[in-house]
Amino acid sequence: MHHHDLSQPDYGTGQKKLGIYVFGFITCSILTLISFWAVMSETFAKNDILIIIFISAIIQFIVQVVCFLRLNTQTEQGRMNVMSLLFTGVILVAVIAGSLWIMWNLAYFMAH
Amino acid sequence: MHNAATIAHDHEQHHHHDGDSTDVFGFWLYILTDCILFGCLFATFIVLNDPSMHGPALKSYLDLHDILIETFLLLVSNLTFCLAILSIYKSKLFRAQLWLVLTFILGASFVYMEVTEFAHIAHEGFSWATSGQASSFFTLVGTHGLHVSFGLLWILVMIVQLPILKITHITKRRMTYLGLFWNFLDIVWIFVFTIVYLMGGI
Repeated sequence: MHHHDLSQPDYGTGQKKLGIYVFGFITCSILTLISFWAVMSETFAKNDILIIIFISAIIQFIVQVVCFLRLNTQTEQGRMNVMSLLFTGVILVAVIAGSLWIMWNLAYFMAH
Repeated sequence: MHNAATIAHDHEQHHHHDGDSTDVFGFWLYILTDCILFGCLFATFIVLNDPSMHGPALKSYLDLHDILIETFLLLVSNLTFCLAILSIYKSKLFRAQLWLVLTFILGASFVYMEVTEFAHIAHEGFSWATSGQASSFFTLVGTHGLHVSFGLLWILVMIVQLPILKITHITKRRMTYLGLFWNFLDIVWIFVFTIVYLMGGI
């Protein structure tokens, strides 16, 4: 709490710095262009394209969370934000992976 | 006497700060529940868009160039919003308003392009009622578009209330809410364009 500037509350969303925003913006722009180029150029195999666009999406997600949402573990509130995000991640994995697992199983047993 | 007043003032600020932090945490929890809503819609979309499904494919109705432009509209609006927040923290009210207006224009262009695209592909024969694939597509992308539209309304309210309320801890807190919401929408869009448009376009 002591190294915390009270006149500039950050609400657990980190300090506001132009450089970080610009870095996040440029990184996301490049990754977006790579994703679209991989699909539109039609030079890669289907599996390679899937790998490229998913890795690109995951990096973009991390960059946006760190550079724009400014999630951090520097303050107590920052840690609470990160923990609740991780918990939401657990629920999302259960919902999405669970749905896909059930439906693919269903399709498999209806076809065989 | 002077000391007592200072302490009281510090205490006041501290109190505001703690209360605001709790409020912002509550808003963050709302954002996370919204994530779960989108997670359910994504799960539905992926299940219904299995390649073995019958019905018209989304691919033949899409122009990825438009999607790329939409993506950049949202990404740039994200940056301009962050610049508005920076201006607020430097107590430059007019500049903050200008950045917000720019954010609004970019977001509105995004919604306009999306609605035009929806109308176009529905006219071409890929409408809400065509198939389960089409329904899940319109529900997922439409829910995101609706969120952006509400965000736009909120930005307008912010532009109007900033000169009235001036830059106080209240407006800073409200800008923090709006910033979380607007950045969250761009994060959801990363997965929309990757899973819906790029995977659909391969």
